[in-house]
Amino acid sequence: MKIKNKLLVGFGFYTLLAVAMGCFMYLELHTIISRLAYVKSADDIVNNALETRRYEKNLLLFNDKGAINELDHYITLLRKNIGVLKKEIVKKIGAQEFAKLSGQIDEYEQSIHAIARNPADKGLIEKVRIIAREIQATIDAVAGGERASIDYLLAHLNRSMILLLFTIAAFIIAGAIINMKLAASISNPIRDLEEATKRVGGGDLSWRSELTGRDEIASLGMSFNRMQERLSAARQSLELAITELHEKQEQLLESEKLASLGRIAAGVAHEINNPLAIVNEKAGLMQDIIGISDEFQNKDKFMSLIQGIVASVDRCRAITHHLLGYARPTESVMETMSLNDVLADVKGFLHKELEDKRIAMETNFPVDLPQIRSDKGQLEQVVLNIVRNAIEAVSEGGHINISSGMKDSKTALISIADDGPGIPQDKVKHLFEPFFTTKGKKGTGLGLFVSYGIVKKLGGMITAESKSGRGTTFTIQIPVDFRQ
Amino acid sequence: MTEVPQERTRVLIVDDEVEFASTLAERLQLRGYDVTAVYCVEDAFNAIRQSPPDVLLLDLIMPGTSGMEALMTVKSAAPEIFVVLLTGHLDIEKELEGMGLENCNFIMKPVDISKLITMIDGATREMPSEKRLEAS
Ligand SMILES: Nc1ncnc2c1ncn2[C@@H]1O[C@H](COP(=O)(O)OP(=O)(O)OP(=O)(O)O)[C@@H](O)[C@H]1O
Ligand SMILES: [Mg+2]
Repeated sequence: MKIKNKLLVGFGFYTLLAVAMGCFMYLELHTIISRLAYVKSADDIVNNALETRRYEKNLLLFNDKGAINELDHYITLLRKNIGVLKKEIVKKIGAQEFAKLSGQIDEYEQSIHAIARNPADKGLIEKVRIIAREIQATIDAVAGGERASIDYLLAHLNRSMILLLFTIAAFIIAGAIINMKLAASISNPIRDLEEATKRVGGGDLSWRSELTGRDEIASLGMSFNRMQERLSAARQSLELAITELHEKQEQLLESEKLASLGRIAAGVAHEINNPLAIVNEKAGLMQDIIGISDEFQNKDKFMSLIQGIVASVDRCRAITHHLLGYARPTESVMETMSLNDVLADVKGFLHKELEDKRIAMETNFPVDLPQIRSDKGQLEQVVLNIVRNAIEAVSEGGHINISSGMKDSKTALISIADDGPGIPQDKVKHLFEPFFTTKGKKGTGLGLFVSYGIVKKLGGMITAESKSGRGTTFTIQIPVDFRQ
Repeated sequence: MTEVPQERTRVLIVDDEVEFASTLAERLQLRGYDVTAVYCVEDAFNAIRQSPPDVLLLDLIMPGTSGMEALMTVKSAAPEIFVVLLTGHLDIEKELEGMGLENCNFIMKPVDISKLITMIDGATREMPSEKRLEAS
């Protein structure tokens, strides 16, 4: 039931109670008033009768002619008052006696007038006295009960008062009960809802309102549930967005880290490269001098020692050159280029090595590939590192496939696949770590590490996919238009 | 040193790293080249003005006038000089291509001497000096 209807029912009940009480009180008062009116009229009748008898005496004993008018007056009043109480009198003495009383009053009046005209008529005088006494007796019998009437009225008033008290009590009790019921039926669901809002406010979005029914609060509960579901959905997508944001942030941090690591590595490599070049020249000069002198003690021993120095320098050179690849000698130059040109350049650059190993290189460059904006030199270096690895991995007469394409409108793809021995699953995750190599002294383990750093710096990503014995595929994702 | 050719290729090395430049100069001299080493760009300009070399070995990263600026100056004044840039970066190839310079190449430090010799001899079309060293 709607709250409005509940309130209406409560109000209706109160109104009914009030009307019933009012009616009851009205009836009680009416009874009392009509009783009082009876008592007053009865008193009037008795008084009229007494006055009539007083003037009758004046007329009969002192022959006072003026008394006749007073008599007429009081008889008329008597008749009128008896008429007023006719119903009550008939009830008391019966219709026959009432008619007899009226007849006696008429007879009394006529006799009085007759005496007034002929005051010496003793017989008439006696007759008037008899009638008068009879009327007096009847009136006393009818109206003489004022005392009884007052007792009756008191009893009646008492009863009314008690009833009134009871009604008031009933009014209060029933009102209280109805009010409490009504208040509870309105406030309980509100309290439920309040509880629900508190829980939701505290973060418990699983809570659902269980209010049923058809009133405003139940529908509020339903709206609440709907809101709740929306809120849950919103929170879910928010949480998703936050996780994504965190991932992005971590990626960003990682690429930042790689970039600064790259700067440090390149700086160190540069500082080391110059003394390394000196060591290389000095060792080379020693080699030259000892090589051309015929009589040098322990010539072979020295030559092999120097050869060892030169070999170590070569290894260091491989390392510094990889690391220097991280940084350009000048500021990063972004240029618009065709990715296919970059790949073709690399292929040309490695021409000799491919030929030496009789490797078949397949290329798949779609002609409609959009131009991209990136650092060409650095990108070439990345592709060079990866293709070189592929060349080193495949056996004689192996196959390498380079293809380009678009991942979506914002990202270009380069994929380099070979049919070499592949990489065991447990090693794949270490590929991009610095110094991870399976080539012993021939490899630095920096090629992929540096390539990864460069691609990250350019806003892209490298992934490797490989199965032991089934070859390896490296995929480079690069943004079409990279802005730092 | 045995026989000295009549027309020796003249090489000028410019590198602020004295130890490197002097040692490389000595090695090239052993291979029969006429080598001078200087350690700053100003000295290099003076040397070129006095007697222009056939080959200029130029270190790209030097304090003061940068190697690149020196390269441009030399190239505009004496384009016939063959310039080999000494660098730590592979990338330099792209830069050179971009500038459209001719008669110019680069080699990475630490220097692979046989590669350098091949480069110089190829450019000056002389008899490989390396052979002379081996023959001695
Ligand atoms: N195409 C491939 N097939 C199989 N293994 C590969 C391939 N590419 C890379 N690897 C493995 O990843 C390792 C790391 O490669 P990375 O290029 O970083 O260093 P490297 O090649 O060993 O050394 P460097 O690049 O200095 O020669 C390699 O040693 C090799 O084991
Ligand atoms: Mg490698």
